[in-house]
Amino acid sequence: MVGALPWFFASLFLAGVRASVLTLQSPRLSVIGADATPLRNEPLSLAVKVPAPVELGPADKLKLTFQIVDADGKGVQPHQTFLRFYDEVTGEEGVQPVKVTPGGKAKFELNMARPFSSLPPSGKDPLQVSLYIGSFKHDPVQYNLFDLIVPASQAPAQHPDETFFHVRPEIFHTFRPEQKVPPKFVSAVFTGFIAAPWVVLLGLLGNVGPQVPHLFSPSIIPFVATLGAFEALLVWYWVDLRIGQVLLYGAILSVPAAITGKRALAAVSERRLGKSSK
Amino acid sequence: MPATKTAPPAKKAGSSPLLSLWKAYNETTSTRLKTIDSFLVFLMLSGIVQFLYCILITNFPFNAFLAGFASCVGQFVLTASLRAQVNPANRNEFKEVSPERAFADFALGSIVLHFFVYNFLG
Repeated sequence: MVGALPWFFASLFLAGVRASVLTLQSPRLSVIGADATPLRNEPLSLAVKVPAPVELGPADKLKLTFQIVDADGKGVQPHQTFLRFYDEVTGEEGVQPVKVTPGGKAKFELNMARPFSSLPPSGKDPLQVSLYIGSFKHDPVQYNLFDLIVPASQAPAQHPDETFFHVRPEIFHTFRPEQKVPPKFVSAVFTGFIAAPWVVLLGLLGNVGPQVPHLFSPSIIPFVATLGAFEALLVWYWVDLRIGQVLLYGAILSVPAAITGKRALAAVSERRLGKSSK
Repeated sequence: MPATKTAPPAKKAGSSPLLSLWKAYNETTSTRLKTIDSFLVFLMLSGIVQFLYCILITNFPFNAFLAGFASCVGQFVLTASLRAQVNPANRNEFKEVSPERAFADFALGSIVLHFFVYNFLG
């Protein structure tokens, strides 16, 4: 058993060497126009790339036929056969499997009117077309076949969220123009107008001549004083105080105001009723 | 409210109904009510002037206009109700409100009004 192992490995090695070569027999490339006229029909060379790139119009067909054979010239169906389309500039690539019959014959067709979805997005640069063959029994092979020029694909549709990934234009706020105070002259004129009702008031009061005989009586004057203090407090509020302070001071001031008010108005009432009862 | 507001402008109108109205007002109205009336006229004129300024020139600063105009209107309302309550002709309508009570209300209302006005004055 131990002595058999080197034989096994040796035979495996020999088999590997013998079976490692896979080649293509009679590979052909043809381009057929939209109206079924053959534009190009030539054999492919595996050693060197086709010098002139293959150009396809928007409705042209590319046909590729070959047979995969081993070193004995027998047709082989490999496990994997792929055509790779590679754009060297953009790095985009597409891989398309090729169907191979058990006899090793393969036929590939690319119709530009209905290109398969794995064809990479194309620009103005040619796609490099290469053939990959993988087999369990043979060494893998890669052939650089030719360059392919296809019509440029449409630009991809813009994603609706695309704008969120770029710098947005800067936002400029527009404000209403600053409001201005009117000219000094207009202000002065209307200050005069505002003062005019005071003149009217004083004139009317002078005309009417109200009498306040008891204003300075000890029962009245404290109430008037607290009312005046309230107004002074409010002016102070306008000038300096905060609302909490003015509410506090107002609450404190309201106590004497209520007391003095009650006294003053009681005195007035007494005088009025006394007068009316006379 | 008696039609006393039109009285001062009617002074020089000279037409006989207005003249007799003015005469009647002058003779029958007490001095106290006349004082209140002159104050009401003053408030009205003040409010009109401020409103004209707001319309014709500018409402800037608007808070000051609001404060000034609202003080005129509010004080007018308070004074008018004071006048209605202390008028002896309305004694029957305000039986339970004595003139002193009316004045206390007027004073309290005025202080509250002035507090808000100074709040707006800015």
